[in-house]
Amino acid sequence: MLSRVAESLFWMSRYFERAENTARFLDVNFNLLLDLNKIIHVENPNYWIALILVTSDKERFNSLYDEYSASTVTDYLVFNKNNPNSITSCVSLARENGRSIIESISSEMWEQVNNLYHYLQSVTPQLVHNDPYSFYKEIKNASHLFQGITDNTFSHNEGWDFIQIAKYLERTDNIARLIDVKYHMLLSEAQNEDEIVEGTEDIIQWMAVLKSCSALEAFRKVYLSKIDPDNILRFLILDRTFPRSINFSVCAAEDALWRISGSSRHRYVNNADRLIGKLEAELSYTAIEDIYTKGLHHYLEDLEQRLVKVGEQVHLTYFAYHTPEIEPVDIEEALPFTGVAGGRAYWSQAQQHQQQQQQ
Amino acid sequence: MSRFFERYEPETRQFFDEVITHEGAPRPHYDKMLQRFGQFSLDDIKSRREIVNIFFRNQGITFTVYGEDEGVERLFPFDLIPRVVPAHEWETIEKGLIQRITALNEFLNDIYHGQKILKEKIIPAELILGSQHFRREFVGVNPPLGIYIHVTGSDIIRDREGKYLVLEDNLRTPSGVSYMLQNRQAMKRAFPVLFDKYKIRPIENYPQELLRTLQEIGPSSRREPNVVVLTPGIYNSAYFEHSFLARQMGVELTEGKDLVVNNNKVYTRTTRGLEQVDVIYRRVDDAYIDPLVFRPDSKLGVAGLVNAYRKGNVTLANAIGCGVADDKVIYSFVPKIIKYYLGEEPILENVPTWLASNPADLKYILANLDSLVVKAANESGGYGMLIGPESTIEEQEKFAEMIVANPRNYIAQPTISLSRHPSFFNDTELWGCHIDLRPYVLYGKTITIVPGGLTRVALKRGSLVVNSSQGGGSKDTWVVDE
Repeated sequence: MLSRVAESLFWMSRYFERAENTARFLDVNFNLLLDLNKIIHVENPNYWIALILVTSDKERFNSLYDEYSASTVTDYLVFNKNNPNSITSCVSLARENGRSIIESISSEMWEQVNNLYHYLQSVTPQLVHNDPYSFYKEIKNASHLFQGITDNTFSHNEGWDFIQIAKYLERTDNIARLIDVKYHMLLSEAQNEDEIVEGTEDIIQWMAVLKSCSALEAFRKVYLSKIDPDNILRFLILDRTFPRSINFSVCAAEDALWRISGSSRHRYVNNADRLIGKLEAELSYTAIEDIYTKGLHHYLEDLEQRLVKVGEQVHLTYFAYHTPEIEPVDIEEALPFTGVAGGRAYWSQAQQHQQQQQQ
Repeated sequence: MSRFFERYEPETRQFFDEVITHEGAPRPHYDKMLQRFGQFSLDDIKSRREIVNIFFRNQGITFTVYGEDEGVERLFPFDLIPRVVPAHEWETIEKGLIQRITALNEFLNDIYHGQKILKEKIIPAELILGSQHFRREFVGVNPPLGIYIHVTGSDIIRDREGKYLVLEDNLRTPSGVSYMLQNRQAMKRAFPVLFDKYKIRPIENYPQELLRTLQEIGPSSRREPNVVVLTPGIYNSAYFEHSFLARQMGVELTEGKDLVVNNNKVYTRTTRGLEQVDVIYRRVDDAYIDPLVFRPDSKLGVAGLVNAYRKGNVTLANAIGCGVADDKVIYSFVPKIIKYYLGEEPILENVPTWLASNPADLKYILANLDSLVVKAANESGGYGMLIGPESTIEEQEKFAEMIVANPRNYIAQPTISLSRHPSFFNDTELWGCHIDLRPYVLYGKTITIVPGGLTRVALKRGSLVVNSSQGGGSKDTWVVDE
């Protein structure tokens, strides 16, 4: 398969998943505010700062808005075109990537990307404000539909595997950030990390985190109604069967990577396989106490860093142009990673103009 | 005659009508069609129009108009009434095109080798050597089988007497063949019964024929040539066609950045490493194909491609430098070219052409701007044109200046009233619209022409411009055995 096609499949999938997860981030906050309504003053900007902190965009946000509030944060994460991670931007980028490989994906997949794009064009801030629940549900459903369509109309070969890798890498990253929102919320209440204490509202916050991963019911089936932080973290990080847990997603990404390269448990053929295999093995033998020893926030941060490395290696192995002669020996000195704005989303004006000039 | 045709005014005193004779009777090969359309009500037509539109939309058959809102994609206008070409007329077109394309290929071979035709002064050397499409980098290179123009599409029109004339040869990257194929599919969906009534020659094998041609011209050292299509990218107006043909042939659709040259061999970058490419059906112009040889600012090309080509490690279809033979000035010499290389009289005639570079012709052109069609030699798509009878004095004066400033760049032809064909306007009434015909010629070990082509129709009342960028549409074209 052409590297360009593989790369576009990868980014189409990744942006779609990111759009869904941003919707989930926002959803968790609205859930929280509804639940906390009776307990504390909800216009507390801390609840909104946390969302910006976990998407690591504080500076860009501050350059665009004066305050952290429901309307500014929603506008930034849903509509703002200057934010490459806003839902609107992600869906546009997913569509651009899809459009450039329209002959390689099924027409049903293209139709679904297109549908969501056109739906978003018609949505106004007022509509989101009046009924956030329905709006976020719409986004989540569109993403689920896209995945279902992909699984049922697209051959499960190499291209499909790239879609899976992208989806699960993105999802792992987002679950880690979602759990981290909770950390940031607690931190912004307390003065420093030592002072973090668990109060009444704590359980409500954790339940919101579970809900935003569609995990509350699945959690209860395992742990009954014992909603305490240990169990919740165990479930969201280490469970191997729930599709929105970190361990599950890493396993799924690993499976897809290994299917492409032919790696197996005791033999890896490239660095992407090695790094994902290492991550998966560690997760398999991690207990919740190990995570506490390291500190939850540091554990999650470290995880996010390692996911970035896996992404870099996928890029190097499959998408970047290289011949054996110029293959970088030291992975630390590898070619630059295209990062969040990867894929072929951005065409330069000159390139576009030249394309149009051809007969 | 059917109710639609009762009110149809063929105006045969002025125009050649494809369906109605000068005496006012339907031509025999249209009999069955008129009967069938006679059975339709307006609602029938509407429902069939709907079938066709849904088909085109689902297939994503759209084109992009430049200069309007970015990314505006429109359905290609399609007329429901097919054009019928009887087999005996097709025979002439086919023979004429084979003769013409053979001679033009000989001509290119000569221009890029011994240049005999220039030395014998059949064609003034400065016209060739000064042409912006002459590629001196390519002199002495031997493309496989000596073929330069693997895929061509000459535009054919009919004059007032119904005689077929060649209006222009497209020897670089003629587009539109996907519309030819899709028009047929759409018609089959909407009018299955009509297909029962005619013996229509099939065109559906075009992609297979194209692939076979491309495989035949691969470098001789490679047994199973790896063929790819090279597109400028998604913003090109013909992108749909590029991706359509790649899909139909089952080959990779590539962009410049998918290809790399190493040791004068061309490879695609794949997830499994590099794979060698043998034949490139390229839809990128010469000027952009290799930044090391042609335009250095090209972002669409492949660095080193031309050298790989010169080494014979990869074949380009069409070859580099073919534009020198479809220049509108060279066009006027094609009858001489046919006579020179084949010793035959042209089967298909040219439209009479005056060259502004010829002083006597220039005088005539300037004196008759109001009745001639003036064309820039190197423009296509209906741009850079003056249609005398429809122009204003200011436009004529502007053209006069441009012609005098650069006579090599202009030709003039009499305003030919292209033949007309009844076409539906808003699906309610029939109107005679001007049409042309672009058959597609494939040149591998043999020359193959799929029976039919793209009939383009000027869907603006009275307009003579059939290009899709200027309000033209198309109709299905049937070559029928009587």
